[in-house]
Amino acid sequence: MNKFFKKMVKQTEFYVFLIIVVLSLVIQARSGLFFANNNIVDLLRSMIVPSIYAICALLAFVSTGPDVSFPLIAALSSYLALIVTNKMGLDGAPWIITFIIGILFGCIMGALNGIIIVRYKFPSLIVTLGTSSIFSGILLGAFEAERMDLPANLAAFGKASLITVKNAKTGLGSTLPMTFAIMIVIYIIAYLVLNKTVVGRGVYAIGGDEISAERAGFNVKGIRFGIFVVNGGIAAVAGLCYAVMSMRYLPTEYAGGEMIVIAAIILGGTRMTGGIGTLKGCLLGTLLLTMVSNSLILLGISVYWQKVFIGAIIIIGTAISAIQSHAGAKVKTRLKKEAA
Amino acid sequence: MMGSENILCVKGIKKSFGGVHALKGVDLTIKRGETHCLAGENGCGKSTIIKVISGFYKPDAGSIEVDGTGFPVMTPAEAIKAGIQVIYQDFSIFPNLTVIENLAFNQVLANKKKLVNKKEFRRIAEEAVKKINFDVDLDALVETLPVADKQLIAISRALLDNAKLIIMDEPTTALTKKEVTRLFEIISDLKENGVTILFVSHKLDEVFEISDSITILRNGENVITCPTKEMTEEKFAYYMTGRHFDTQVVKEVNENKYGDVVMEAKNLTAPGFEDVSFELHQGEILGVTGQLGSGRTELSLALFGMLKPTGGQILVDGKEVEIKSVSAAQKLGIALVPEDRLTEGLFLPQSIIRNITVSKMDQLANKAGILSSKKVEAESAKWVQDIGVATKNHEFPVQTLSGGNQQKVVLGRWLANHPKVLILNGPTVGVDIGAKYDIHKLLRELAADGMAIIVVSDDAAEVMATCDRALVMQAGHVTGNLSAEDLNAGTLAQATV
Amino acid sequence: MKKMDSNIKRLLIILVAFIVIACVTKPNEFIKIGNFQTMAKQLSEYGLMAIGVGICMISGGIDLSTVYIANLCGILAGLMMQGNGSIAVAILVALIVGMICGAFNGFLVSYLKIPAMLATLGTYQLFMGIAIIFSGGSTVSGIPEGYTGFATTALFGYIPLSFVVFLILIAVVTFIMSKTKFGTRVYLVGTNEKAAKFAGIHCNAVLIRTYMLSGLVSAVAGLLSLARINSAKADFGSSYTMQCILIAVLGGVNPNGGFGTIPGIAIAVVILQMMSSYLNMFPSISNYYRDLIWGIALIGVLIINFVLDRRRTQRLSKIS
Repeated sequence: MNKFFKKMVKQTEFYVFLIIVVLSLVIQARSGLFFANNNIVDLLRSMIVPSIYAICALLAFVSTGPDVSFPLIAALSSYLALIVTNKMGLDGAPWIITFIIGILFGCIMGALNGIIIVRYKFPSLIVTLGTSSIFSGILLGAFEAERMDLPANLAAFGKASLITVKNAKTGLGSTLPMTFAIMIVIYIIAYLVLNKTVVGRGVYAIGGDEISAERAGFNVKGIRFGIFVVNGGIAAVAGLCYAVMSMRYLPTEYAGGEMIVIAAIILGGTRMTGGIGTLKGCLLGTLLLTMVSNSLILLGISVYWQKVFIGAIIIIGTAISAIQSHAGAKVKTRLKKEAA
Repeated sequence: MMGSENILCVKGIKKSFGGVHALKGVDLTIKRGETHCLAGENGCGKSTIIKVISGFYKPDAGSIEVDGTGFPVMTPAEAIKAGIQVIYQDFSIFPNLTVIENLAFNQVLANKKKLVNKKEFRRIAEEAVKKINFDVDLDALVETLPVADKQLIAISRALLDNAKLIIMDEPTTALTKKEVTRLFEIISDLKENGVTILFVSHKLDEVFEISDSITILRNGENVITCPTKEMTEEKFAYYMTGRHFDTQVVKEVNENKYGDVVMEAKNLTAPGFEDVSFELHQGEILGVTGQLGSGRTELSLALFGMLKPTGGQILVDGKEVEIKSVSAAQKLGIALVPEDRLTEGLFLPQSIIRNITVSKMDQLANKAGILSSKKVEAESAKWVQDIGVATKNHEFPVQTLSGGNQQKVVLGRWLANHPKVLILNGPTVGVDIGAKYDIHKLLRELAADGMAIIVVSDDAAEVMATCDRALVMQAGHVTGNLSAEDLNAGTLAQATV
Repeated sequence: MKKMDSNIKRLLIILVAFIVIACVTKPNEFIKIGNFQTMAKQLSEYGLMAIGVGICMISGGIDLSTVYIANLCGILAGLMMQGNGSIAVAILVALIVGMICGAFNGFLVSYLKIPAMLATLGTYQLFMGIAIIFSGGSTVSGIPEGYTGFATTALFGYIPLSFVVFLILIAVVTFIMSKTKFGTRVYLVGTNEKAAKFAGIHCNAVLIRTYMLSGLVSAVAGLLSLARINSAKADFGSSYTMQCILIAVLGGVNPNGGFGTIPGIAIAVVILQMMSSYLNMFPSISNYYRDLIWGIALIGVLIINFVLDRRRTQRLSKIS
């Protein structure tokens, strides 16, 4: 137990968790509304899409480097999935069919990222910026995508709810959509793959030391390529979840979501230089940023201040982890000296 | 079961890369159970032959026989199966993962396992550390461990695969003396258990201490293979370089020629060392030697304004100074050639010009900070010539140069500033013997012209060849001050143990 | 003068080839003074921000906040000009604020050692937030004519003043980056910060000044756009951030730092502006095709540079 506790205090996730607890208590104390059932459900609801994106960002950061293409992969693959569903008359089919179509398109787009990054070893940031631009051009230029209604199967799926709550005091209600279950399922799968399979550990191994991974017998190129393909698929799911939750497809609403997601996972302890990062951290980081954007109003702070707060949190959070890693380096040299 | 007498027998290996012949027919025969040393200068083909043996390169010609079995085509997997393991200089570890995972991955992957079985991982790891009685927290992240432990992880991992032949590539580079001793004990144990070691090194004393026989390569060809006891230091240097060196000729100690005291440290203390005092005269070369972690590097950094002293004084020309930054050190006429040329010394992809003139830009620019390209080029050209950097064009990136020439560029950069005090940390690490000789000679010449020089080095031969006097450091303290008469291999060895 | 930079040569060839194609296929619309004037005005703004992003990339970092520095400065200047505020003071304040924003970025990147991408990701939210607070979340308008007249004036009756400003800044920054100590140091810090420290370069000071310069040119961009569109808004031009990175890389800036030239970036800006104006001449082609072409161009240029660089290094290694 003691050992477990010691290990816990060393993790960034622990501190993010503490901040979340403190922040929620402060909001509760000031407004009395934070722990209201509808607020919690609202929070969870707002977390769904960013936390699915967060897995994309995590996988990319841990193994290779930043991936900023997931919002546009989400937009384009969702669009294609919806069009195919409509054109092929699949709107009566189960919702999952549309999701699978989207995932396939997403994987193809992810594969494009993967091929370029693996083949030429370009910085993933620049490559995914380029492909984002390409996907955006295809979506808005070639297809001239416009907002549209969902096919019947997704519309029905969107109306179904997991939990519906009503706050007795304020009379405000809130529903948790089915997409929340999708998010949970993806997290469980990601957890199992990352921790219980050799390939999953390989994702961390290649982020730790690429050459060592190759010598140990990991298929570095294959894993890296696979990550970007999977990222495409996950992005597609996030994109469709977003459409389902908005009850219509909004092509221009996707772009620009990547930065805040990246900030969230870095706050959650993912290391910029690769090799380190957990799903727990993804969830906590996303929760923290979602809380700030959702709940400031409960603190009586004008929405105008929201960006300032988010910016400040990103700066302070990353500064702390940057300073920590420096302190860590110093401790290491001291240890080395003692060992000598 | 006893195979053939030779664990490894490679013959006539040829390998070329795009017209460059890295190996021109190399033979290497290693007897079962011996510790064999492979030596040679940088670029002699050492690392290429290792990669051929371990299956990473396919040779253009030649045969490989492991334990009596011929391998027409060797793949990395086959090499491991045949019992060949390489321990690379970087140890091939994953700093971000636990010791368990680092130890278990190879075997798990070799067995084509798809799922992680925590118990099995731990079992493999425990088995591995038991082989060399290595005491380590299996759940620790490897990045938190000292270098020596990282190496032991690599060794125990290699033993897991029933290694018959372990190839160690420059294994002592990052180790302290104590750790080297421990490594050598482990090597002896392994030898007793019938494991053969191929020890790749260029460090004379280690080669003589640990190996039974030696093979030396030069320019991708065999020069000699013989039992270690038939080898001498002079022969070793000659075989490596093909040149004769008289190690003593460069040094003419003449205390009378020393000028005034240029730099003085009084009870200097900083993180890494304590209470260091010395005087440095014009025209004198002071050695600072000690093991890794003895504080020698920190001392050099403190004198150069990169490490803030917490106590004591530094005097330059008799006046107490506070060296707050590198540029402050520069203004005082202090220069430092850093320890790691590639990461600290050079801007590898930038031109030789920029690398040479970087620290002199203040003088090469006018008051508004505008550089005169004429002056910059002239300055660079002057030093390329004066110091003998072998290049066709000083606009080429510095990474196109050989190690020795790269080091000359760093030296040239600081000489361009006409320093009063030149500090060199490991001035010839990774430099060919030929270039090493040139650099030592240059240092003596500079001292003869009145420059005060501090050579920080763990290479006893280097300290003896260049220095007039040497401070010996241990665990952050000066434990010996050897004068010219006392400075010899014996006293140095005694003082640094 | 030495042989021309091979990347600039390549970019110039692309530019000339493109102009020829455009002139042949759309002679009436393309070769019109009005067309060139519009292009010149538009490219000045994001061109300047791309220069800011570019120098930060050369220093080994990146600046994602340029657009928001521009917006913040535009809003502040706009607010100060409203009513009978002094235009000169407003401009001065905007430029100073731009430099302060840049210095703050530089401080985070150098002293606190926050990776530039994250630091400027944070400050972009921060600057946007501050801009929202100042502007109350709405568009700042009511800019006096004395100022907006700047955008409609042209030098010698043909060259828009904003383009003149762009050209002057290009020349100044080119000079700074290629001929001064500071510029050389930016390249060296971007190549290897540790080696730069050992060579006596005060890296933190160099980085802070680099980001300040980026903040300054962004502030100028904000002032130009304030004059052109007669208003300023906190989230104006969000897509410019990605465009600027794209332009910098197309212009030959190495995303890992240490290499790239300002004229290269400037030519890339011109090429991209011409392409998008050219595409606008086909009513049937959506504006958004631009994104597609830019993305392909970015990755294409990366691959071409990769192949050519590898050949060059091989050749040089052989010679020496």
